[in-house]
Amino acid sequence: MRKGPILGGERCMADVYLDGAAWGYQQRARRLMVAVGLVFTALLVRLAHLQLIEGDDLQQASEHNFIREVALQADRGTIYDRNGRVLAINRPAFDLYVTPAQVKDLDALVAGAREVLELDELDAIRLRERIEEPRGMWRYQPVLVQRDMPRALVPRVEALRARADGLSVRVEYRREYPYGELGAHLIGYLGKPRAEELAETDRHYSEASVIGRFGMERRFDEVLAGHNGLERYVVDVRGARRDDGWARNALEPERRRIPPVRGHDIWLSVDIEVQRILMEALEGHESGAAVVLDPKDGSVLGLVSKPSFDPNAWSGGLSRETWQAIQENPFNPMLDKSVQSYFPGSVYKVVTAAAGLEEGVLDPEEEIDSPGQYEYGNHIFHCHKRGGHGKVNLYEALAASADVYFYKLGERMGIDTLAVYGRRFGFGEKTGIGINGESAGTVPTRAHHEAHGGYQAGLALSTAIGQGDVRTSPLQMALAYAALANGGSVWTPRVVDSIRSPDGKVLTHYDAVLQRGLDVSNEHVSMILRGLEMVVNDPKRGTGHLAALPYGTVAGKTGTAQVRQIQRDPMRQNVKRFRDRDHAWFAAIAPLESPRLVVVVFLEHGGSGGKDAAPVARQIIEAYHQRIEPIFQTTAALDKPARDAVRRR
Amino acid sequence: MSRFLAVAARIDWPLVGLVVLLCGVSVLNLHSTSMAAGSDVYLVQLYWMLIGFGVMAGVAVVDYRDLQRYAPVFYGTVVVALVLVLIFGREINGSRRWIDLGFVGFQPSELAKIAIIISLASWFQKESRPGGYGLKDLIPVGIMLGLPMFLVLQEPDLGHTLILLFIAGSMLAFERFEKRAVLTLIITALVVAPLAWNFVLRDYQKDRILTLVDSEVDTLGAGWHARQARVAVGSGGLLGKGYGQGTQVAGGFLPENHTDFVFANLAEEHGFVGGALVILIYLGIVLVALRSAVRARDKFAGHVAVGVAAMIFWNVVMNMGMVLNVLPVTGVTLPLLSYGGTSVLTVMAAMGLLLNINLRRTVS
Repeated sequence: MRKGPILGGERCMADVYLDGAAWGYQQRARRLMVAVGLVFTALLVRLAHLQLIEGDDLQQASEHNFIREVALQADRGTIYDRNGRVLAINRPAFDLYVTPAQVKDLDALVAGAREVLELDELDAIRLRERIEEPRGMWRYQPVLVQRDMPRALVPRVEALRARADGLSVRVEYRREYPYGELGAHLIGYLGKPRAEELAETDRHYSEASVIGRFGMERRFDEVLAGHNGLERYVVDVRGARRDDGWARNALEPERRRIPPVRGHDIWLSVDIEVQRILMEALEGHESGAAVVLDPKDGSVLGLVSKPSFDPNAWSGGLSRETWQAIQENPFNPMLDKSVQSYFPGSVYKVVTAAAGLEEGVLDPEEEIDSPGQYEYGNHIFHCHKRGGHGKVNLYEALAASADVYFYKLGERMGIDTLAVYGRRFGFGEKTGIGINGESAGTVPTRAHHEAHGGYQAGLALSTAIGQGDVRTSPLQMALAYAALANGGSVWTPRVVDSIRSPDGKVLTHYDAVLQRGLDVSNEHVSMILRGLEMVVNDPKRGTGHLAALPYGTVAGKTGTAQVRQIQRDPMRQNVKRFRDRDHAWFAAIAPLESPRLVVVVFLEHGGSGGKDAAPVARQIIEAYHQRIEPIFQTTAALDKPARDAVRRR
Repeated sequence: MSRFLAVAARIDWPLVGLVVLLCGVSVLNLHSTSMAAGSDVYLVQLYWMLIGFGVMAGVAVVDYRDLQRYAPVFYGTVVVALVLVLIFGREINGSRRWIDLGFVGFQPSELAKIAIIISLASWFQKESRPGGYGLKDLIPVGIMLGLPMFLVLQEPDLGHTLILLFIAGSMLAFERFEKRAVLTLIITALVVAPLAWNFVLRDYQKDRILTLVDSEVDTLGAGWHARQARVAVGSGGLLGKGYGQGTQVAGGFLPENHTDFVFANLAEEHGFVGGALVILIYLGIVLVALRSAVRARDKFAGHVAVGVAAMIFWNVVMNMGMVLNVLPVTGVTLPLLSYGGTSVLTVMAAMGLLLNINLRRTVS
C-alpha cells in the first residue's frame, strides 16, 4: 500500500482535496486499516479459542442439549438355593404410560383405558386430568397410568394402543422372592438407590434402578446387578424425540445403544426347605434366630431370624402400611438376630470347660462341690438351681449346667484366660458372613471391663457361665459347636456355594475357609462332647433332655441367659414383661458319632434353654432327618433298645 | 470499446468478488438453517440479493455528486420513516423496528446508517477546515447524528443506536480536530456513559450487558441466546459438524438462527475453517473500502468510503462479538449473512457507493 500505484502513480487527493491534507488522509486511512486488522485478528483469536480450546467442552454442552439418555435396566442375577430352587428372580413387569403430546383423541383414549383397565368414574377423571395437566415440554414426558399391569391385560392394552395414540407399554423388571418370609434376612431385598449412589455414573443408575439393601442381595449386589445399558436418542429444544435428517447423523449408531449386561447368578449353600423347617420350628416364639450348619465345612444350611418379613413388599415400592407395621413391630423384624450378639448363658460353658482342661486346672473326674450359691468377694453368685447339684464331675456339671462348678473354674483361671479360649472358639470377632451388620460380640477381658465401668474379680465368675459381659451371636455359637463337632476347625460360614453365569457355568466356587483352629486337644474335645451327650441323654441330670431323639444321639447344651441382674425378685415375677425374660439357647450336634448338623436355637427373651429352646432344636433335627436326608444311620427300630439303655443310665 | 475497457478497469473487481462470494456463502448457509425448519428464507434472501445487485449497480452508476446534492432529502426521508416506525411499527419482542409494507417488512434504522454516512460526508465536504475542526463544528454534527440516534433508541434498538454513533465516530476519526474539541468529546463520553446506563438503558439491555460478564448466571433468561450461540460455535470445532448438521440450529436450541445469530450456525457447521474464512472476507471488504477512501476524488467520496467501511466493520464486530460472547446481545445484523431485505439492500447500496467512488477516482 505504501508506494503502490494508487498513491505513487496517481495524481489524486493532493490535487483535489482543497485543504491539501491528502497526506494526513493517507496516514489516517492506514491507521484505520491497522486498527481494523487488529480487531479482526481479535475476532479470529476469539473464534479459535471457542472452537479449538473450549471446543470439546462446548461439544459436550451441545450434546447435553440434544441427547437424552435412558438407562436400560440390566437383568439382575437369580439367587438359587443349594438344590437349584429359585429364591430371588427378576420378573418382567408391564407398566402403562401415556405421552400427552402424542394423544390425538383424549376422549377415546380415556374411554378405552377405562374399559380395559376397569377404572371407575373417578379414576377416569383423574387420568384425564393427569394427561391434560402437563404444559410445554412436560407434555413429552410419559405419564404413568398403571404400574405392573396383570399379564392378562397386556394383549388388550396392545389392542387399545392400536386404536389410541399416545399409549406406550414399558417393560421393567420386578424382583420376586417365591419363598417370601422364609429367607428374608439371608436373601435380602432391594431398594431405590440414594442420590449419592445414583451419581456413580459407571453403573448407569436410573430412576428405575434398584440396589441390594439387605442380605445376599446387598453383599453380592455388584455380582447380581450386572451393568445397566444406555439408550441415547436425539431430542429437539422442546424435548421431542427426533429421528429425521440432522438427528440421524447427530449421534453415531454405536453410541445410541449400549446393551445391558445381565448379572451373574448366585447359588447358596442354604437349603430353602431347611429354612422352612427352621421357621416352622420357631413357630410360637416371637423373636429369635436359628442356625443349621454342616460342621464339616461350615456350610450354612439354614439361617433364619424371627420375626421375618416379606421381601416382596419392597419390590415396586413399599406401601406405607407395610412400613408402618414393620416399624411398630416390637420384635424388630428388620434386625437379623442370627448375626446380632446376646448374652449366651450356659451354652458358653464349653469355653470354660475347654479352658480348664487345656490350662490343666481341671481334672474331669474331679468332683467339685456345687451348691446353690457361691459367695465370692462381697457378692453371692447363684446357681439356676436353688438347691444346687452337690458334688459333680465335669460331665455331670455340663449335663446339669451346674453354675457353681463353673464359677469355681472361672475363679481358678481368671477372666483373661477365659477370654483366650473364648477367642479360640471364634467369639469376639466377626465370622465373616458379611451381611446385615454382623456383630463381633464381646469376649470380655480385664481391660475390656476396665474400659467399661470397672473390673472386679467376680466378673471372671459370671464370664465362666456366659454372663457378665459375654455376648455372642447365634451364628458364632453354631460355628463354635461345629468346631467341637469336627475336631477343631472354626470355619468362616459358607453361605454362597458358587457364582454362576446364566447358562450354569461356574464362575467362582467358594471353598470352605478356615477362620482359625480351635487349638484344644482331641482328648479334651471328646471330654466336652461326652458332657454334651449327657446334657441331652441323661434323663436324670440333663438339662437338654427334651432334645433327645429315640433313634440317634444328639449332643447339645442349654443356655438360659439372664437379661436382668435382679430378675429373681418375686415382686418382679408378676410384672415380668417380655424384655425381662431370659434368653433361651440350645446348641446341638447331631448325630454325635459322626456329626452332620450343628443346630443353634436362640429365643430372644424366650424363657428357658431346656424347656423352650431344646424342643425347638429337637424338632429341627428330626425334621431334617425325615424331610431332607437321613442323618442317623441306624434303623430306628433296631437301635431303640440300645438308646433306651443309654437314657436309663 | 476503449471507453468500456476504461470503465471496466475502474470497477473495483476485488470488492465485487468478495460481495458475490459473501452472497453465495449467505444463501448456502441460510439454506442449511432453513432445512430443519422447512422454510425457504434462503430463497427470499437470494431474491433480495438479486434486487440488491440492481441497487448496487444503480447506486454505482449515478454520479455521487448528485447523491451529495440529495443528501438532505434522503436524511429527511429517513428521519420521517424513523418517526413513522415508532407510530405504525410492528411490535416484535417489545420493540418497534419494522414498518409493515404489506408484502415486506422495512427497517428504517438500516437506512439511517446510509443517511448518516452521506449527510456527514456531505457536511465535511462543504465545511472545510484546513486547520482542523473546532468545538463549534461539533454542534451541527451532534444534531445531525443525535436526531436519528434518539429516534432509533426509542424503538428501542440499542444496537443500531450504537452503530450510528460508531459510524459517525469513525468518520470523525478520519478528520483532523483541534485538541480542545477532542478533549471535549472524550469528557462528554465519560460523563454521558454512566448517565446513559442509569437513565437511557432499559433493564433488559442492562441484563444483556451484565450476562456478558457472567453468562452462566441465567442461562434460561438473558444469557440463553448468548450461551446457545457459544455452544453452537464451540461445538463446531476445527472443521464443523457438516452442512445441514448443525444440531444447535436444527434442534431449535439456537434462537434467531437465520438473523442475528446466523454466524453461529456457520461456525457450527463449518468450524474454525469456515468461520475464519468469513471473517477474512469481511476484513477484505473493510480494507477495500478504506482503500477507496484513499483513492477518492474528493472529501465527500473519501468520507463516504470511510463511513461504509465503518458500517461494515461495526456491524461485523458487534454481531460477531455478540455471537462469540464478548459483546452484549443486541439486534445488530451481520452484513449480507443475516436474513433480511432492508439489511441486504442497505449493504448492497453501500457497496454501490464504494463502486461509484472507485469508478470516479482520479487516475493518471
